[in-house]
Amino acid sequence: MAEGTDGPGDALWEALVALLPPSKEDLKLDLGEKVDRGVALLLQQAVELFHGGQQGECLQASEAALDYAWEKLNTGPWQDVDKAWRQVYAFSCLLKTLCLCRPPREATAVAAALRVCDMGLLMGAAILGDILIRVVAVLQAHLVSGKRPNCSPSQQLSSQELSSMKKAKRDHVLAPDVSLERAVPRLRCPSLQHFQKYFLAPGMPVILEGVADHWPCMKKWSLDYIQEMAGCRTVPVEVGSRYTDEDWSQTLMTVNEFISKYITNEARDIGYLAQHQLFDQIPELKRDIGIPDYCCLGSGEEEEITINAWFGPPGTVSPLHQDPQQNFLAQVIGRKYIRLYSPQDSEALYPHETHLLHNTSQVDVENPNLEKFPKFAEAPFLSCILAPGEILFIPVKYWHYVRALDLSFSVSFWWS
Amino acid sequence: MVEEQPGAWFGFGFCGFGQEPGLGRRCQVLSPEPLKTRRDICHVSASWSYTALVTRGGCVELSGSVSGTAGGCRDVWASERLLVLLRDGPGSRVELQAWAPGSVLHGEPLWAQDPEAKGAALSAEAPVGTLPLLPSSHVYVSPWPPFRHCLAPELRARQLELGAEHALLLDAAGQVFSWGGGRHGQLGHGTLEMELEPRLLEALQGLPMAQVAAGGWHSVCVSETRDLYVWGWNESGQLALPARSLAEDKRTVTGEGLNQEGSEVETVAGTEDGAPAPFIAVQPFPALLDLPLGSEAVGASCGSRHTAVVTRTGELYTWGWGKYGQLGHQDSASLDRPCRVEYFVHKQLQVKTVTCGPWNTYVYAVENRKS
Repeated sequence: MAEGTDGPGDALWEALVALLPPSKEDLKLDLGEKVDRGVALLLQQAVELFHGGQQGECLQASEAALDYAWEKLNTGPWQDVDKAWRQVYAFSCLLKTLCLCRPPREATAVAAALRVCDMGLLMGAAILGDILIRVVAVLQAHLVSGKRPNCSPSQQLSSQELSSMKKAKRDHVLAPDVSLERAVPRLRCPSLQHFQKYFLAPGMPVILEGVADHWPCMKKWSLDYIQEMAGCRTVPVEVGSRYTDEDWSQTLMTVNEFISKYITNEARDIGYLAQHQLFDQIPELKRDIGIPDYCCLGSGEEEEITINAWFGPPGTVSPLHQDPQQNFLAQVIGRKYIRLYSPQDSEALYPHETHLLHNTSQVDVENPNLEKFPKFAEAPFLSCILAPGEILFIPVKYWHYVRALDLSFSVSFWWS
Repeated sequence: MVEEQPGAWFGFGFCGFGQEPGLGRRCQVLSPEPLKTRRDICHVSASWSYTALVTRGGCVELSGSVSGTAGGCRDVWASERLLVLLRDGPGSRVELQAWAPGSVLHGEPLWAQDPEAKGAALSAEAPVGTLPLLPSSHVYVSPWPPFRHCLAPELRARQLELGAEHALLLDAAGQVFSWGGGRHGQLGHGTLEMELEPRLLEALQGLPMAQVAAGGWHSVCVSETRDLYVWGWNESGQLALPARSLAEDKRTVTGEGLNQEGSEVETVAGTEDGAPAPFIAVQPFPALLDLPLGSEAVGASCGSRHTAVVTRTGELYTWGWGKYGQLGHQDSASLDRPCRVEYFVHKQLQVKTVTCGPWNTYVYAVENRKS
């Protein structure tokens, strides 16, 4: 398909080219009215330059289109961003990736291209039959077959060894004595009807045992495995104790960097890979998890279920908040201390008044300012320590507070 | 508007569509270059992929992804979706025209109306160069439906600028109002909430402003006492406050990319004792910004993510996003502090006016008269 300056049988390049549409006219997007004429022209030019083998100029044009789309993606609330702009972004990422990987390429080109692809997956929308997923697979395979990603000794420890290594440090991450608190009820593999009648319909929390404990992730997932499957992939990380803090921020880094910086080494801040649809980005990991059958009791389709990964060191905190959908929180690695408050008691939880944070309580659950928030002291709650293999059902709008007691990996399912 | 003085226009920054006349099609123009325009340009309105230049004789020249000319124009406002003209119509009436940029001013405009809501005639002395604010000051245009927006009559608007999600208004008394999206603090009311209606910037009350400028997600104003105030998003240093992304870029540039142990240097450029300077992502209310050497600001303009200011002594300072050369410092580095554009100093040019497109900068300068 592409004429031009291919090197003698560059396996990576050939594999990438094989993913492109067979005829060069098909390397395009049907964008419609939503996308400004100027950037549409620029993308057309970029594709022409690509087919003409003008790598440098193609890269510049793709970069400009990418930057323009980035501005559109940052205009207005994310949910209102037109899908067309996310497609432009993804398409620009694709072209940029191809330019970077075309031989002759630099030593760091493939890692850079992988990052670009991940940005396209994180911020863009599926194009050309979700081509970026296939491109990423090719790039990842090439990276692995070359050098092994950094294998400094600390990264090869199992999570058990890590836990004991960190025991001294963990003393400040104390597990509360939940026997003094009202416990979330537990059930072993309830029937659909039983769950629907006693928990889903009345909106009552419950811990489901025996449902997820045979998912492959429960046996397979470890720091090693995660690094092997996803180490060089770029993910969003939250830095700071909790999202209500002033010095809280979000940043991007590879999974390897995240583990190295916030899990295995002495970290100054808390880093949390939180609320990220990791399994859309890395479908290989999706095979290791199931979807709770009880989701079929909802009115939505299975494709509409949002699956998020929550991966971080001990001490990560999600401040008390509520979500607009039903939630199954499945624990895979480590334990989490969780408190649940009923929506009926919302007043005693002093939600923020701003639109941005109206679903978040102002109260620090484990260190409440009772002078400022007096009603909180009497607000009833349920609590638990959620352990690997267990699923917590958090009914829609039920207030929940979560603190990780260990290195933790949870998977949440938001459904309606 | 530019005074009657011999001078020339210069441009730098993004020129991927050839929108800076005479500079060719180049992704980046890193240093100011004189524009090659045939006629006497008095006003520039730059969109992302094309630029509209108006001559003193009322001729509009389009350069970039669209090209073409049109006569009888008093004012022009260029955006990607809409090219708006205030044009002399038949019978000494003035018409507001909105064109699809791709139409190259041939055929019919998308719509044309009386600029005045009530059809009053436009006087010959009506201020020009106020678009998107119409000369009557009661109406402004925007690229999104309903395209024409009325302002409350009490708001005696003198100047209006539109950002990506917000609007800034300067009234006859020098007060600043803002409305629209506020998620990046660009409204200046101290919150991240949106405002549906123009809301007075209380933090600036009592400080009469001479000019406002709206960037993509940031805001700037110049006071009558020549002070500069900035607020909004600082992700590329466009507020001249410490920006995290700039510090991180410095770190990765000096290293080899991925640090093997992942132990990145945490201390960043900051105070002498090694304490890191706090980064500011969002500044939700106006902050006074001092220019180097006590320079006094007389004009300001903002691109998407950069800021340019003209001083009383005819110097130009720029800061913010610099990837396409829009800061004019001969490189593509972004800056989170004001830096003088040395080109004009070297060439002994006095900068009179600056107008920013989203990713580029246009400057009108005259030669220094040696006394």
